[in-house]
Amino acid sequence: MSKATRRALLCLLVLPLAACSLQPVQPWQRGNLAKPEMAWEPDPLVAGYRRHVQFSKEAATGGPVLGGGGCGCN
Amino acid sequence: MANKTSAALAALTQAALAIPGIAAADGATVQTDYLYSHYDEAKLAAGHSASGESESRYQIDSHLFRLSTALDDNNLGLDLTYETLSGASPWFILPDANGKPVQVMSGASIKEQRIDVQGSWNRPLSSLLDGLDASATLGYSSEDDYRALSGGAELGYTPATGALTYTGGFSYSSDEIEPTRGASSPNVIASADKRTLSLYGGVAWVLGPDTVLQGSLSYLNNDGYLSDPYKLAYLTDSAGTTADERPDGRIAWALTGRLRQFVPQLDGALHLDYRWYHDDWKIESHTVDLAWYQTLPGDWQLTPSLRWYSQSQAFFYAPYYGSERNDGFASSDYRLSPFGALSGRLALSKRFGGWLLGAGVEHYQAKASYALGEVELENPGLVKFTSFDIRASWRF
Repeated sequence: MSKATRRALLCLLVLPLAACSLQPVQPWQRGNLAKPEMAWEPDPLVAGYRRHVQFSKEAATGGPVLGGGGCGCN
Repeated sequence: MANKTSAALAALTQAALAIPGIAAADGATVQTDYLYSHYDEAKLAAGHSASGESESRYQIDSHLFRLSTALDDNNLGLDLTYETLSGASPWFILPDANGKPVQVMSGASIKEQRIDVQGSWNRPLSSLLDGLDASATLGYSSEDDYRALSGGAELGYTPATGALTYTGGFSYSSDEIEPTRGASSPNVIASADKRTLSLYGGVAWVLGPDTVLQGSLSYLNNDGYLSDPYKLAYLTDSAGTTADERPDGRIAWALTGRLRQFVPQLDGALHLDYRWYHDDWKIESHTVDLAWYQTLPGDWQLTPSLRWYSQSQAFFYAPYYGSERNDGFASSDYRLSPFGALSGRLALSKRFGGWLLGAGVEHYQAKASYALGEVELENPGLVKFTSFDIRASWRF
């Protein structure tokens, strides 16, 4: 693993600690967070289609997404 | 009255505490979605082709239908995909007179179709624990020569403060391949199977009224027949080919970070995703995805996005081999070669009452020079494609 990769992973692990020191966001302050364009995947149909194409053309895969079987893509 | 008010307040609070992306489609009772995509791979350039002439590659037409509905607390979904594929795919790679790798494509044009059905279910489990919800999927995919049965489940938990949401889940797929092309060749297996298990866990943090961040770790375990029966590898010592042969196990880890930042001044949202991937075939990969969701007057939305991908090669990969490896592994598949890829996408959509209509275009190009680090020999089969899609949704 390269030095840059190790540094990026360290940042990702430290971020949750930074969140602990933040002021809580109240329910009435969450209007923007609830907007459809703030979803992890605002358009699941397009996101699923693109993931399938990438899965069939690249070696790397995986992520926090439920479901999906393999394919004989070549 | 007091009870009714507090129940309503509790429901509103619960909804407001939810992390976006989990709730059903805007509380609609029934939603139908349709997506049509035309995927078109660029011809293999004459300079990369063993025949010295440019050659056609894959074209795929996909139709995706989704029906989702909310029944009491249950969100149910049914997805149906129908694809038709035609064209030629990379077969093996030869060295030319100067040792430069050139691609041999599969001879006859391949024609295939794929049907995929997925069912999904999600509901809150607040009777067990406030802030807990569960999801599950079950799917079946069928091609002329390939079948996959898959399923998975996920639990999400948001403690009362609403600052954090924990997610954990698994997916499992059992796949079977029965090659149809070259089935009479001694190089091609009659049938084989493989299994894929994926486990993942993550935490999402609400960092502010406009910012949410998610970090997650995934583990993937593949075992069984992981080779490609339609590909060969070339050996210069015998001036002949050998079957694509890969290890029968593969363990991978992926670390993913996703940021969503709303910018009120511009009425737009920034999406930044990063994934680091590593497997025991010694492939390491980085992916960065950047998108901007711009809301425009008149219920229009414009979404430009950029993606960069890079991977190193599998330890047994080579464009061609001098002689057989001691471990017997061989693969010249471009997907196991070192390369990078850049893609850009532009999507536009508009809402008309309960309708949403949209279109998108994406261009993807893989090149050795886009990879992180030096690549000695570029695989000539690296892909370049353009895809167009149109979509419609109806909520009622």
